[in-house]
Amino acid sequence: MADLAARPALLRTARSRLRLRPGQAGVVTAGLVLVVAVVGSLLAPLVWPLDQSAVALDQTRSAPSWAHLAGTDDLGRDVAHRAVYGLRVSLLVGAVAALVATVLGGVVGGIAGTLGGRVDRILMRVVDTIAAMPHLLLGIFIVAMLRPSLGAVIASVGLTHWLSTARIVRSELLSLRTRPFVDAAINGGAGRRRVLVRHLLPHVLPRLALATTLMIPHAVWHETALSFLGLGLPPHLASLGNMINDGQGSLLTGAWWASLAPGAVIVVVTLAIAVLAARWRDRLDPRVRAELHL
Amino acid sequence: MTRSGRLAGAGAVVRRRLLVAVPVLAATSIGMFALGAASPVDPAKQYAGAAAFTATEENLAQIRANWGVDDPLPVQYLRWIGNLVQGDLGWSTSRHEPVASVLAARAGWTLLLIGVSLALVLAASLLLGALAAYRRGGLFDRALRTAAYAVQSMPVFWLGLAAIAVFALALGWLPAGGLTDVTATSTSWGDVAHHLILPVGVLAVSQAPWFVLFVRDAVAESMRDDHVLAARARGLPGRTVLFGHALRTALLPFLTLVGTHLPELVGGAVLVETVFSLPGLGAVTVAAAMGSDFPLLAAITLVTTAVVLAANLATDLAYAAADPRVRLDG
Amino acid sequence: MTTTERLTAPTPGRRAVRRPLLAVDGLGVQFRLRDTRMHAVTDLNLTVRAGELLAVVGESGCGKSVLAHALLGLLPGNATVTGHAVLHHPDADPVDLVTCGQRHLARRVRGRRVGLVPQSPATALNPVRTGRRLLTETLRAHGRRREDGDQLAVDVGLDPADLDRYPHELSGGMAQRLVTALALAPDPSLLIADEPTTGLDRPLVDHTLDLLRRRCDEGSAVVLITHDLAAAQRVADTVAVMYASRIVEHRDADQLFTAPTHPYAAALLDALPDRAFRPVPGDPPMLTALPAGCAFAPRCPRRTDICASQPPPTAVTGGAVACHHPITTGAVT
Repeated sequence: MADLAARPALLRTARSRLRLRPGQAGVVTAGLVLVVAVVGSLLAPLVWPLDQSAVALDQTRSAPSWAHLAGTDDLGRDVAHRAVYGLRVSLLVGAVAALVATVLGGVVGGIAGTLGGRVDRILMRVVDTIAAMPHLLLGIFIVAMLRPSLGAVIASVGLTHWLSTARIVRSELLSLRTRPFVDAAINGGAGRRRVLVRHLLPHVLPRLALATTLMIPHAVWHETALSFLGLGLPPHLASLGNMINDGQGSLLTGAWWASLAPGAVIVVVTLAIAVLAARWRDRLDPRVRAELHL
Repeated sequence: MTRSGRLAGAGAVVRRRLLVAVPVLAATSIGMFALGAASPVDPAKQYAGAAAFTATEENLAQIRANWGVDDPLPVQYLRWIGNLVQGDLGWSTSRHEPVASVLAARAGWTLLLIGVSLALVLAASLLLGALAAYRRGGLFDRALRTAAYAVQSMPVFWLGLAAIAVFALALGWLPAGGLTDVTATSTSWGDVAHHLILPVGVLAVSQAPWFVLFVRDAVAESMRDDHVLAARARGLPGRTVLFGHALRTALLPFLTLVGTHLPELVGGAVLVETVFSLPGLGAVTVAAAMGSDFPLLAAITLVTTAVVLAANLATDLAYAAADPRVRLDG
Repeated sequence: MTTTERLTAPTPGRRAVRRPLLAVDGLGVQFRLRDTRMHAVTDLNLTVRAGELLAVVGESGCGKSVLAHALLGLLPGNATVTGHAVLHHPDADPVDLVTCGQRHLARRVRGRRVGLVPQSPATALNPVRTGRRLLTETLRAHGRRREDGDQLAVDVGLDPADLDRYPHELSGGMAQRLVTALALAPDPSLLIADEPTTGLDRPLVDHTLDLLRRRCDEGSAVVLITHDLAAAQRVADTVAVMYASRIVEHRDADQLFTAPTHPYAAALLDALPDRAFRPVPGDPPMLTALPAGCAFAPRCPRRTDICASQPPPTAVTGGAVACHHPITTGAVT
């Protein structure tokens, strides 16, 4: 169909169907969920303070009720209450770790993309090889060597999640280098640093921001996985991973709800971020087929 | 051009890859060693275990000397990596046995879990993804994609607990964990298979969305390829068009991506093994991490990385074998 | 041509006077684009009879290939097809190709009743299959023996040994002959050949055209989509001239090539190397922005004010022409 091939717009329309196109309702819902999640976890200490070490041994493993919307765990703690704090910790750790990973990936990708040539080849080989390391194992190794703590978890996530960012930044910079406006700037006598700061950075930053946002669910997952294994945050601290881990014991005695709420919180927040990011990416680059591969 | 002719350069490709992988793996091992050296944990006390509390300072010093813990770091590193290369993976301080025997006893179960799950995921995702793509936008397509996005946002360990709650506790169909019945005196394969249904299923389901969505998108795009339209125009049966033409060509990029997705699968396996208390590498990894068992952790990480790199190489060679346009001797 | 073939083709002067095989009535194809609509085929009427070779000619981008894909139900999801295209068969009920649905098209129509020689053979071949596997698979799907493959290859002028090559090992001309052989494998009663002579040198062009002609003389029908007027003149019984999604003139080949009535048909003939060798001035309009009046008016030497504002009426005068000011001199009745 050369008649059609001559008109890429036509094919583009056919392909655009492949994208996850969340409807307006989906985007609004996702936005509301995220606003509630972020504002709720920020304000929680003010409106619904939690004593992390408090237990109520007279009401252990009570099923969900009006008094305890998501039930209580095997130490009688309110699951819903702790889930709010778990989300607070997870989002905090996730956001900070995602930032660490972004900075690391941005620097490596930036060096590879601006210098190109031999440096680029070597750095990308390193990235490829680290990508072949199961990042949960690497994360476990890092936590184990640094001893489980908040800082160790952030380092573990940050050091294992920068690869995709490095690749994105690098390929973006390499493709920008061939664009006419960069040539024009260089011919106009602009120095390398000036070109980088004035011309390249504004193009890379939106993509970098998107990559960071998309990384937050990954970071939350990694943190909860470490906590679930008992290698993450201190066990008394309400974190989503710790709560699911605690709930594992209750589950075998029939108290299935102890792990339900923290898991559901992860699912809902992850989906909300994914839906918003998909829309954001559509805006950012309508040509590239969006992949919602978390 | 025959297939063997095209693949004549496979040996050269393998050599080229090794030339790259070896230095990078070496660099990675230095990084890991540095992290281990910076660790606040005293390997001598680690080795002595509970005895460390009663051991005299002389005893600990003796252990240090035996282990060469006080040697300069480069010397320690070279000794460690030299032993690794010679097949001596070191002594596990958390399990008090050689790392090699820990791996030998455990790796098989993890490999079995990953292998069966991967086979299941591949078969299911190729079938479901292709069917969804065949009627793009149809009821099945939309249902499958919704399910995939939903499952994709569920942590695998949570999915595992949900599976235990439903299939083991509520319905009582399958055992909640372990590899054999507690009453069993010997390991029978039927029993093991029965115990592996849930873990394999959970790992497969948790990994499936990525594969299903990829296959679905690739086949959907392939369905609009000129050669697939031409196959339809020749009046070939729908099954032949879908599986023989659209899927067959969409499969090629998929092949290489399977290799890059393996690390995810390993991570998932560690979590699933923990949830179901399976005696694979997952449990010892966690125990080793709790005890800061550097030799065991480093060996597990480096060995799995080497396995993944080898698998990547294998999928790339499989790609070359599957696509007649690729020549390796060029 | 052998004597027996003459006996089976009793239509002197190539004029087909048999039963209609395909009757296209008011066919329209629109594509929904991001912010506009593209009219690829507009109000198209055609009849193809058994034994007839119809040439559809026009510049590239006028909607010829879309017409072929529309008849086979192979258009992408953003296309809307309106009108009718009824396929007749002596032993079966007539089928409307527009409404009968994918299932029916796939099981009953494509390949056996309507075949397609796709355009751009390089991309129309599965890159990971040899020609022989494609050919065997097609023969099997239509209940023929795999051994017929070699004969088909010879028919289209391809060395049977070349069937064992992969598509990327074939030259453009070899790939073209292979896709022709593939389309002939189910022995379709109507063959739509979309630019089947691309990449062939002159002797092979003539070989392919004669092959198509011979099929018609044996009783099948062929729709030859081409921008090569010389090819059409060599083999066609009837010619439909397409311009900007419409058929502007449709009549017997002899008449069209001696005395075209539509100014565009005349301009196309004038562009032939053995005639005035004068290219048609200007460019065809975008199919996304067709004018209200006659689409050819901006390039037409005979245009008047009415051409820009009113769509041209279709006059049926021993053929059909859609023009406000058809050329009426000469042999045209």
